Amino acid sequence: MKRELEEVRIPRETEARERARAVVLSAFAERETVPRPSHWPRIAAIAVALAALGAATLSSSGRAVLHELREAVGVKRAQPALFSLPAPGRLLVSSDAGVWVVEQDGSKRLLGDYREASWSPFGRFVVAARENELAALERDGDVRWTLARPGVRSPRWTGTDVDTRIAYVDRTGLRVVAGDGTGDILLVPGFRGAIAWKPGRPFTLAYASSSRVTVRDVEAGQVLWRSRVRPAAAPIQLEWSRGGARVLAATPRSLRVYDSDGGTPLDAGPGMDRIESAALAATGQAVAFVQVGDRLSSLWTIPRIRPDANAARRLFSGPAGFGQVSWAPSGEWLVLSWPDADQWVFVRADGRGVRAAGNLSEQFRSRSLPRIEGWCCAR
Amino acid sequence: MGAARHERARVRGAQQGSEADFEELFEAHWPRAYRAAYLVTHDAAAAEDIAQEAFLAAIRNLDRFDRRRPFGPWLHRIVVNRAIDWTRARRLRGEVELVDVHPATNDPDPLGDDLVAALARLPPEHRAVIVMRYLLELTPGEIADDLGLPRGTVNSRLRRGLDKLEREL
Repeated sequence: MKRELEEVRIPRETEARERARAVVLSAFAERETVPRPSHWPRIAAIAVALAALGAATLSSSGRAVLHELREAVGVKRAQPALFSLPAPGRLLVSSDAGVWVVEQDGSKRLLGDYREASWSPFGRFVVAARENELAALERDGDVRWTLARPGVRSPRWTGTDVDTRIAYVDRTGLRVVAGDGTGDILLVPGFRGAIAWKPGRPFTLAYASSSRVTVRDVEAGQVLWRSRVRPAAAPIQLEWSRGGARVLAATPRSLRVYDSDGGTPLDAGPGMDRIESAALAATGQAVAFVQVGDRLSSLWTIPRIRPDANAARRLFSGPAGFGQVSWAPSGEWLVLSWPDADQWVFVRADGRGVRAAGNLSEQFRSRSLPRIEGWCCAR
Repeated sequence: MGAARHERARVRGAQQGSEADFEELFEAHWPRAYRAAYLVTHDAAAAEDIAQEAFLAAIRNLDRFDRRRPFGPWLHRIVVNRAIDWTRARRLRGEVELVDVHPATNDPDPLGDDLVAALARLPPEHRAVIVMRYLLELTPGEIADDLGLPRGTVNSRLRRGLDKLEREL
């Protein structure tokens, strides 16, 4: 029996060993040899003037929330690898190796050599892009269909159980195709900006270039409303709430949240520091954003959007540049990219906890920190 | 005895920060740790994560590790327990158990494939005791300690598991 068990061949055993060796020896090299009592996460009071948005004020509760500042880059006591997600759902991740699905238990699967991707409306499928191809995939990487197009990017999927649409951008402009890969049309010639579908039906698409946000009913061909963001700058990000009641437009200098009819319950800016990324909670009631200054980066939330006054709370700060931020589907956690630390930092939205996973480039076979394309589907 | 002394020296060296000593421990124990995880989970990616995580746990606890104890069984206990947890969790998610998601190699080993398939049809708890007994060469008493089970339960799982394997093969 022993001999037989030892002779069972395991697929790609050598590659697994080499990957593990790299991760394990790297963790060993970075370990702290002298154990010392410490608090985790290490909380340090920091006196940093609020450099947040002009319209955002630091609330009294905001002063009490978690601040983390370290001399060295990265969260101390980060897990040396991603073992699990702190909240239900699955991550879609892109790295140099391609696009991956990461389950809540930390297991991951490489879907294929794609540059970027996003979830289908219920997380059953993935739409992925490579240089000259748009592809619809099963969650195990099986290809449903492909479409050859030049310079594909920003694929986004929306719809219902029975009918879906995919929007994407290629060298010809903004295009829309049905979820089965048929009926591809050019919607906005020459378009190069950010796009986001309103969830469900009718198929309503927000898109932004220059400083103008347009919301359009794609089937009716009707523009529902347009708005200019001020100060004038091209939005870097558009994102709808889960129910489609609100849409966020973030530029490097401002945040604006629109109601579905174009009203603006949040219009904040200009701030002193650059906004690197922002995310709207699924409820549409809260916004998280990342500001990057000369010496300090901060993750902020506006936990309750109100038309009259909005209070920003700093959840987490650190040296060097932070990257993207995304909400967990449940809204209880945020994930923050910290490229210089090669870490993803999971921060509780109420500021009461921080977890981090490091060495991510190696785990996802990448020269740089893998990018989180989406955190989907709590159930 | 010489091997045990050699391993203690490697553990001591690793505790003092020697990467070469820790690498030697990795080389010595990775194959069995990975194999044990694979034989319990039947998923190569999960086995890689579990075995890797066990080594990372070993690094975290290295300073507190008692050098008089053997390193391998301690590591393997972590691996098998995590592999059982993983397998139970997957069963709860209602996934179909996969013998292997990777393409077959050019030189299949019928004996190994049959054994893997037969093992996959055992409950994970039975798989674990068989792997611990026959791959990791632990005694029923040691298995009982590691899994927190009565020794009689370990023996009965071994017996029933082997009976079923015999019928399958």
